[in-house]
Amino acid sequence: MSCQLAIESEVAALIVEALHLETSAEQIDPEAPLFGEGLGLDSIDALEIALAISRRYGFQLRSDDERNGQIFASLRNLSAHIEKHRQR
Amino acid sequence: MREIPASAALTSRPAEAVLFRRGAEPVTCGRFLADVAALAARLPDRPYVLGLCADRYNALVGFAAAVSRGQVMLLSSDRSARRQREIAASYPELYTLADAGEDPNWEAPPDAVRVAPAAAAGTVGPNPLIPLGQIAAVGFTSGSTGAPAAHPKPWGALVAAAKAAGERFGLNHPDGRETTVVATVPPQHMYGFETTMVLPLHVATASHAGPHFYPVEVAEALHAAPGHRVLVTTPLQMRALLGSGQPMPKLEAVISATAPLEASLAEAVERAWQVPVLEIYGATEMGSIASRRTVEGPLWRLYRSVALRRTAADAMAAEVAGLPDPVPLADAVELEGKDRFRLLGRRTDIVKLGGKRASLASLNALLHAIEGVRDGVFVVPEDLDRNPAARLAVYAVAPERSAEAILAALRQQVDPVFLPRAVTLVPALPRDAVGKLPQHALAALRRQLAGTA
Repeated sequence: MSCQLAIESEVAALIVEALHLETSAEQIDPEAPLFGEGLGLDSIDALEIALAISRRYGFQLRSDDERNGQIFASLRNLSAHIEKHRQR
Repeated sequence: MREIPASAALTSRPAEAVLFRRGAEPVTCGRFLADVAALAARLPDRPYVLGLCADRYNALVGFAAAVSRGQVMLLSSDRSARRQREIAASYPELYTLADAGEDPNWEAPPDAVRVAPAAAAGTVGPNPLIPLGQIAAVGFTSGSTGAPAAHPKPWGALVAAAKAAGERFGLNHPDGRETTVVATVPPQHMYGFETTMVLPLHVATASHAGPHFYPVEVAEALHAAPGHRVLVTTPLQMRALLGSGQPMPKLEAVISATAPLEASLAEAVERAWQVPVLEIYGATEMGSIASRRTVEGPLWRLYRSVALRRTAADAMAAEVAGLPDPVPLADAVELEGKDRFRLLGRRTDIVKLGGKRASLASLNALLHAIEGVRDGVFVVPEDLDRNPAARLAVYAVAPERSAEAILAALRQQVDPVFLPRAVTLVPALPRDAVGKLPQHALAALRRQLAGTA
């Protein structure tokens, strides 16, 4: 498992908190898939994560974002997307 | 004596009425019919079609074209390759429909017929007559396991339900302007199918094509809609939308279904958006059959097209206009007067998550079939209906297997929403003398595990 960057640790903690996961934030592999294999999240979780992101980072996720599936492909991709679009 | 009609036109809307909104672009009924005729002419000659369009307008054109050819549309909101294989196993003669545009997150079957409506504004296509008894669609239950159970929908039942819903929700507005329906539920889920695909064909509504998954998309579509607006959604989406703080335009109604809506959430939405929050009661087998305004209390009012009949001391069946047989209710209900009832609770074997249903017995059977699992049980958390983060858990007795291996085996067969969030290995389950697992014994096990964790 590769190391979490600072923003990745922050987003991992946000996901664990929003979804009440039993995994600890440090255990999330930044390159493993968030959905299906890996963390095993589902579409209800995507909505919860989107809500947590809008509260913390001040921007909204959209379905027509370029490659929505890519954004949720891993903690690393999601964190990079947040870095790019965050308003706070 | 008045003759009972044996067929109904595909649509009863005038040719110039707006039937759909694709973004800002209104599609009139006449132009829709032209799109339907163009697609119908190139559909293969097969009895079944699996609609996999994500674009809601494409989904409707596909459905209407198939029905006009006498074909049956199979409805599945799960577009995964696994689900496609399951359905194809029961309907080997099916073909598939998919959006013409590429979806970077999903791969269409290579032989799918692509839907790309392109009729020019102002064109008007023919309005086919559909026999009322013709099976127009099939809905499936069992979001979880094994072969899907099929529930055929005669055209007459779909039209009757749409008209009853239009009447109940006041959608044929006296000022003659259509109501725009923005929906967060997929067009292939029975609730989304009724409210956004069949409804605009026979009630003065225009469905918005979407996508509407994230709060900002829903709010933007509603703001852009001219005239009357209705939001069709679920408790989870409503909660996310309210929590996002998106400002909302004036709405005629918010309609919720798929899971029980908490009165506190209904109240908060009514207050924040100044709108009545209405709830629909229904199921894939029977469609929508009743509604209530959640803040007014627990009584549901049946649609005009539905009657309830007691079939046993503790069982009811719904007689639904257009359906050949009464449909047993999954919930225990108590009638109050002729057309009102209250829910007394659901049968404990059925668990609902994300608008999908699974039988705990069949989930447990899958668990027991995993190699190395000697015993095991799926456990439903008490707050499943009100906590969006709540998921099932599993206790398993499997000395030679790891929790990860059991989860991986379940993932091969179980819909993601029903996968346990935690698999806990235990030395034994607290079964009683006849091999049953009493709720109090499971609760004690849970407390014991929490204490030792």
